[in-house]
Amino acid sequence: MSTSAPTRPATTTSSGSGGGFSTRRTVHMARWNAVLLTRNKLALFYATALPLAPLLLVLAGADGDTGAGASAIVSSVLVAGLFPVYYNVLSQFVNRRDELVLKRMRTGEVRDSELLAAIALPGVVVALAIIALGVPIMAALGQPWPLNPLLVAVMALATVLMFAAFAYWTAAWTRNAEAAQLTSLPIIMLAVIGQVSIAFPDTLREIVSFTPGAAITELVRVGWFGLAEGEASDPSLAFGDTWAAAGQPLLVLVAWTAIALDLMRRSMRWEPRS
Amino acid sequence: MTTNHLSETAIRVRGLRRTYGKGAQAFEAVRGVDLDVRTGSITALLGTNGAGKTSTLEMIEGLATASSGEVAVLGLDPVRDRAEVRRRTGVLLQKSGFSGDLTVRETLRLWHGTITDPQPVDDLLEALSLGHRADVRVSALSGGETRRLDLACTLMGRPELVFLDEPTTGLDPESRREVWQLVSRLRDGGATVLVTTHYLAEAESLADRLEIMHAGRIVRSGTPTEIAEGHPSTIAFTTPAAASAPLPGDLAAVTGAVEEQGRTTLETSDLQTSLTALLTWAERSSLRLESLEARTASLESVFLAIADGRDPAVEQPDDTPDSGTTDPALLEGATR
Repeated sequence: MSTSAPTRPATTTSSGSGGGFSTRRTVHMARWNAVLLTRNKLALFYATALPLAPLLLVLAGADGDTGAGASAIVSSVLVAGLFPVYYNVLSQFVNRRDELVLKRMRTGEVRDSELLAAIALPGVVVALAIIALGVPIMAALGQPWPLNPLLVAVMALATVLMFAAFAYWTAAWTRNAEAAQLTSLPIIMLAVIGQVSIAFPDTLREIVSFTPGAAITELVRVGWFGLAEGEASDPSLAFGDTWAAAGQPLLVLVAWTAIALDLMRRSMRWEPRS
Repeated sequence: MTTNHLSETAIRVRGLRRTYGKGAQAFEAVRGVDLDVRTGSITALLGTNGAGKTSTLEMIEGLATASSGEVAVLGLDPVRDRAEVRRRTGVLLQKSGFSGDLTVRETLRLWHGTITDPQPVDDLLEALSLGHRADVRVSALSGGETRRLDLACTLMGRPELVFLDEPTTGLDPESRREVWQLVSRLRDGGATVLVTTHYLAEAESLADRLEIMHAGRIVRSGTPTEIAEGHPSTIAFTTPAAASAPLPGDLAAVTGAVEEQGRTTLETSDLQTSLTALLTWAERSSLRLESLEARTASLESVFLAIADGRDPAVEQPDDTPDSGTTDPALLEGATR
């Protein structure tokens, strides 16, 4: 039977996510997205080589200081979130939207959610690999192993998910791939401001602590290195203390992830902006 | 709706409407389309640019949501039963794109992995004469080659129902012929095809049924012969000098007359009778009718009449119910 289909804005997303998400299709497309990434040298540099830089910095200036180790890992997590995930996903999506590749794919069996996951996946894998690579590198330099690995893992997953969602939201109001250089700035600022806030006065730092970048910084310091709030080095937290100390930053990061996903859902654009 | 009816009708559309924008800027691109496409047939949707063909197609494909109306594709709802509809249909968009950095073969392999029951990549390369270009990057393909690659993706899932939005636009004559041969083979294999095109001659020779759209509605339907049948034949000639005798207002069988840029065009329901009357009058008035042309109605003349808004059987955007008769005033005030 046919049914009438009056405009129902609330249900338009169902055309893409109405059950039956196929992991097989998603991984298949993600593989080809990875191939495409390797064929664009500049994009490949941003997605893989650049995020390795903070880790190299640690290697060069390693002195065994816990605070220095923590800030190196924080940089590495943020850069991994910003470049392979955020900027890469943003520019790939905008490019493919403008070339009508996405419009073409959407006429087939592929679902919208699969397309989004497949575009994000190569960058997400790179980002998680870079974060994971930090573990043996830190250990080799005499730094501690992650004190609460579960907390670190949750932080890493929430970070990549948040940045991927922000990428799709940014894409909705990005006119073309060049414009992404500008439209990506607000989110990049939001991410890095937490790291420079050490130099800010207390009241400002209080506000900044609610940014995703500050939350990631705290989670790395607490979950990986056992550094209590404000401790420069000589960690004082034991495993059991980490959950309580991570409470606020974890909530902040999860809240930002939820906000990013909601913004993305409301603003998805599949056709070029004319 | 019986099962039997479902199996005979691949597409059933009733009262389909689509409005873009809101408030004062609202524009109704599709204004109540009814359409039936028989299983195993080729149906061509014709119309000028902006007639609403692509909008109509996108709603039937389930790519756009209708403002109102009913659509059944293979007996299913294209939005609600999306997964099954997509598995059984193939879509060729009017404009679409591929990643230029993948080769032809890689692009087809990418598609291959997204389809439930795909045809082998090599078979498609051969069917669309792309074998020799298989390892060339898509960015280096000609327009015709890209269109054939596009078609290969459309057909990869062995669709029962194929939507082709201007499949031959931008192709050279040879590629166009190849595409139409392919479309014919699809029908021979039992598939149903709904196609839009600008090439009337192609539609006329290949489609089983034509649907002509104008201003958001289907205004004529039928086989090419049926469409031309109900349409008047035309007689045209250079309008004689002003000093000469005026054209009589009651020429036999003439149903309309238009004078434009020094040329008079008469419409007639009986070409021979009107022509005889005209020539007799010219003879008596000692007039010579320069550049005289007499034409039986053709699909092209019907199409052009509709496109120019000259077809009296077609109501223009403000709706008055279609009376099906010709306004006699047309003839009176014809020679302006």
